[in-house]
Amino acid sequence: MTSHTTYTETELVALLVQQSREGFNYLYKQYSAVLYGVIRKVIYDEATAQDVLQEAFVKIYNNISKYNPEKGRLYTWMLNVARNAAIDKLRSKGEVMKGKIQTGDDIVYRSENELKTEQKTDAIGLKESVASLAPEYQTIVELAYFKGFTLDEISKSLEIPLGTVKTRMRKAINLLRQHLSN
Amino acid sequence: MNIKEYIESGILEAYALGALSEEERIKVEADLAMYPELVDELSSIEQAMQAFAESHSEEPPSHLQDKIWDAISEQQEPEVEYEAVEEPSTKEIQLPTTTAKQPSMLRAAIWAAVLVSVATNFILLSQRNQSREDTKVLTAKVDSLSAEQSEYAAVLKAYNEERAFLANPATVAVKMNSMKDGMAMNGMIFWNKEKKEAYLALNDLPMPPDGKQYQLWVIQDGKPVDMGMIPNTMVAEKGMMKVGRAIASGQAFAISLENEGGSPSPTMEEIHVLGAVNG
Repeated sequence: MTSHTTYTETELVALLVQQSREGFNYLYKQYSAVLYGVIRKVIYDEATAQDVLQEAFVKIYNNISKYNPEKGRLYTWMLNVARNAAIDKLRSKGEVMKGKIQTGDDIVYRSENELKTEQKTDAIGLKESVASLAPEYQTIVELAYFKGFTLDEISKSLEIPLGTVKTRMRKAINLLRQHLSN
Repeated sequence: MNIKEYIESGILEAYALGALSEEERIKVEADLAMYPELVDELSSIEQAMQAFAESHSEEPPSHLQDKIWDAISEQQEPEVEYEAVEEPSTKEIQLPTTTAKQPSMLRAAIWAAVLVSVATNFILLSQRNQSREDTKVLTAKVDSLSAEQSEYAAVLKAYNEERAFLANPATVAVKMNSMKDGMAMNGMIFWNKEKKEAYLALNDLPMPPDGKQYQLWVIQDGKPVDMGMIPNTMVAEKGMMKVGRAIASGQAFAISLENEGGSPSPTMEEIHVLGAVNG
C-alpha cells in the first residue's frame, strides 16, 4: 500500500478530471481495496457493499470539482466519499436505527470479534496495533468512522461526556500515529 | 486562540472521523483556513486515518472494475444540487498547481465542439483550396488543349487546302534542281496557273548564314520576277508554304541566296536551285 506515492495528489486530481480509462485503472488499483474495506466495515452485505463501491467511484468522478485541497487530502476526501456513501446506504435501508439502538457493549463486543477473525488472515502490524487499542478508544473510532455517529450520538450511546469522546478520539489517533512513526 | 488547546481537544480528530455536526464542521474549516498549524496537524491525523483505513483493506471482486468504469463513463453529469448545498458560490476548486482545470463536462464539450469545428473547417478549407488548385490546373489543361486543338485545326485546314490544291488537275509540279556542285538539294513548286497560286516545298537547302535569306523568283519571258522572301523557319522545317504573290505566268522558278530583305534582281552566282515548267 505504498505505491500510491508514485502520484502526487495534484496528479491524482488531474487523473480524475481526465476521465481516462488508464487513470481509472490506476485509481482503482490503488484505492479500490481500501475504499471497499471501509465500505465493508459499514455494510456487511457484500452485494450491497459492491454497489456502494460503484456509487463511491462515480461520486468521486462526478464531484472531483468540489474537492478542495484546503479542507484536507484527496485520499481522505475519497475515503470520506466512500464512507459517506456507505453510511447513506445504511440509513436509506433503515438499518441506522438498528445500529443506533445498539448499546456500546454490543458494539465493542462485535468490533472485537471482527478484529479477532480478521487478524487470522491479516498480519499487518498496524491492524494489530488498532486491535490492541483499548476497547474504549477502538469503539469510539469505529462508531464515528464506520457508523457515521456524531460526537453527540457517541456521547449519548456510550454515556460518556462529549469532551471525553473527543479526547479519546485524539488518544486513539495518536496511538496510530505513534505506530506509523515507529 | 490557543492552538495547543484546540489541538489537544481532539476536535480535529473528530473532524477527520466525520463525527462533527454540520455547524461544527463549518467552524473547523474556518479555523483551518486561518491557522496553518491546524492544517499540519490535520494532515498528520489524516495520514493515520489512511493507515487505519488501509489496515481494513479488502479486495473487491475483480469483475467490479469494468462494471464501475462503465458506470462512470455513462454517468458524467455532475451533481448540481450538491454544489448548491455544499459550496458557497465563491468556492471553486483550488489546486496547488494550475495544470488541472475545472472538469466541467460542459466546458469539455464546448472545447471538443470547438476543436471539431476548427478541425472540420480546416479540412473543408483545405479541400476547397485543393479544389481551387485542382480547378486551376484543369482550366490550364483545358486552355492548353484548346490551344493545341486550334493549332491542329489550323494545320489540318492547311493540309486540306494543300491536298485539294495538289489534287487539282490544273496544278503542275515543278522540280527545282541544285545549281551548286556537290550540294544535293532541291525544291518543289506546285503551281496552279488558273488560280495563279503556288506552293513551295524545300528539300535539304542549307540554313542561310547570318544576314542572308533565300528569295524566290519566277522567270517570265527570260526575266526574273520577285516572288518574295523565304522565311528561315521554313528552311529549317523543310515545310511547305504558300507563295504570297499571284503568279499569272512563267517558264521557270528559281531560288537565290540574297542579303536579308531581298534584292530587286537575283545574284546569278547565288542561284541555288532552278527548275523549268514542263510544257
